[in-house]
Amino acid sequence: MNPEDIRYHKEHTWVKVSGRKGTIGITDYAQDALGDIVYVDLPEVDTTVEANSEITEIESTKATSSVISPVSGRIIEINEELSESPEIINEDPYVKGWIAVIEMENHSEIDDLMDASEYEKYVEEESK
Amino acid sequence: MRISILGAGPGGYVAALKAAQLGASVSIIEDSEVGGTCLNRGCIPTKTIIASTDLLSKIKDCNAFGLELNGNVIPDLVKIIERKNKVVGTLVKGIRGLFKNRNITLKEGRGVLKSPREIEVTSKDGSRETLGSDTVIIATGSRPAHIPLFPFDGKNIISSTEALELRDIPKSLIIVGAGVIGCEFACIFRELGTEVTIVEMLPRVVATEDMEISEQLERELKKKKIRLFTNIRVEKVEIKEDGVHAFLADGKELVAEKILVSIGRAFNSDNIGLENAGITKGSRGEIIVNNKMETNIPGIYAVGDVTGGLLLAHMASAEGLVAARNIMGEEASIDYTVVSAAIFTSPEIASVGLREHQAEEKGIQYRTGHFQFRSLGKAHAMGEISGFIKIISEVSSDRIIGAHIIGPHASDLIHEAALAMKAGLTAGDIAGMIHAHPTLAEGIKEAAEDVHGEAIHALRR
Repeated sequence: MNPEDIRYHKEHTWVKVSGRKGTIGITDYAQDALGDIVYVDLPEVDTTVEANSEITEIESTKATSSVISPVSGRIIEINEELSESPEIINEDPYVKGWIAVIEMENHSEIDDLMDASEYEKYVEEESK
Repeated sequence: MRISILGAGPGGYVAALKAAQLGASVSIIEDSEVGGTCLNRGCIPTKTIIASTDLLSKIKDCNAFGLELNGNVIPDLVKIIERKNKVVGTLVKGIRGLFKNRNITLKEGRGVLKSPREIEVTSKDGSRETLGSDTVIIATGSRPAHIPLFPFDGKNIISSTEALELRDIPKSLIIVGAGVIGCEFACIFRELGTEVTIVEMLPRVVATEDMEISEQLERELKKKKIRLFTNIRVEKVEIKEDGVHAFLADGKELVAEKILVSIGRAFNSDNIGLENAGITKGSRGEIIVNNKMETNIPGIYAVGDVTGGLLLAHMASAEGLVAARNIMGEEASIDYTVVSAAIFTSPEIASVGLREHQAEEKGIQYRTGHFQFRSLGKAHAMGEISGFIKIISEVSSDRIIGAHIIGPHASDLIHEAALAMKAGLTAGDIAGMIHAHPTLAEGIKEAAEDVHGEAIHALRR
């Protein structure tokens, strides 16, 4: 089940908002579609990222895929653990498998994102 | 026809063998060891060491292959270098044997042109003799460039030559220059356990390669935890008690046990008597030749690195063949359009023909096809899934104009694309050929299919 307290982007990423901070990661659907993740090209702290653009790339045994940021802002923290153990994303995409924390520029971007039930419907449509 | 050849590296010795095959009486002069940089201080030594580090890497990963290691595997650099020396020794003997077999006279000493037809050879024991000949081929090669910014001491501040003779694995190493040599050594020493930092003045590693190849290699270096600083110069180097300090243009200070400088090569065109023969040099010290490899002085040819072209052993050999054939009365000219080249990083890189940005600069309408090794069964079986194949073809003719590979066995795989280019074949021709399964070569087929968006094993775009 996809958690209720986070927002979802159509490129299968999520953001959990807490004040101005947004923690982002990829969804369970995305990790399942990618298969075993072997490498996360972690972004650098202090770089800025635009919503709907690539924040990093993930390599799985099947593919190399862009991770699209759901929000704009400055990266203030990255999940260093992923550099040693990228498979954490497969095991726990919504909690331990977070990728980065972004200091958000524009809170209203959240409104463009989907909630859990909308995302579930979206995934159902997409996989038809 | 009497030919004197100055230098017995891959340019000179191949020219010697070819000329002898065509009936010439050949003397070849070498002041170091036959085989030149390639065999003694370059291609072969590094590949031999890489064979050790590749095996080490596989052993470290043995659990993933269902193998349990009962104990530790410990790299012993002294023994790795011993093996390297043994391999080099065998091949040196091989070249000497070929010389003997073809009645080529090897003069061991330093040769200096005295006139367009005479070379004075000074042997190691100091004795001198003058060789007269009808033609001369200069194949003196190149050496690591020394610039005053890096006061080489052969111990803390070293070039690739000393790096191949180290007895102890350095704890830490700064590599200045992320070209072919810098990146190969970065992978070698990182595998041996050294903390490696690379500093490159240009915006990307292996800057002469296709942009996407550089990007992928940068990621592979990052995976290995090699630190990389691009777009920045080293401004000063100091040897202190705790190691060598490198000061970067942005104020950063790096410290390591040693610094390996790989920022280019200088041409061996000094002190060989070019002025006595009236041979023209270019601004970089290279000997200027025409497409028959002849210098401005009729009957004097030059081949290989010293001519300042592509600094590749196989290019030197190809030029040596052209020079020998022209001297022996055949018509031959050098063609640089299809030259494969390989970089033995981990994973390997190989390229032929145009890079994408070159195709763009030339105003060619082109298409590209990509294929990821991770979509190949064989790559998974081998446990080497990183990297991709990229094929560039001209839109109007569909002919292949370039191919770029980063991934397992790239250096062998490139030749299918190279032959296709040489023969003027199209992406469709490669796509239409049945490739054996399961092989890495299937990736070439899929990349060729992808030129037209038809790769079978790729996800829809």
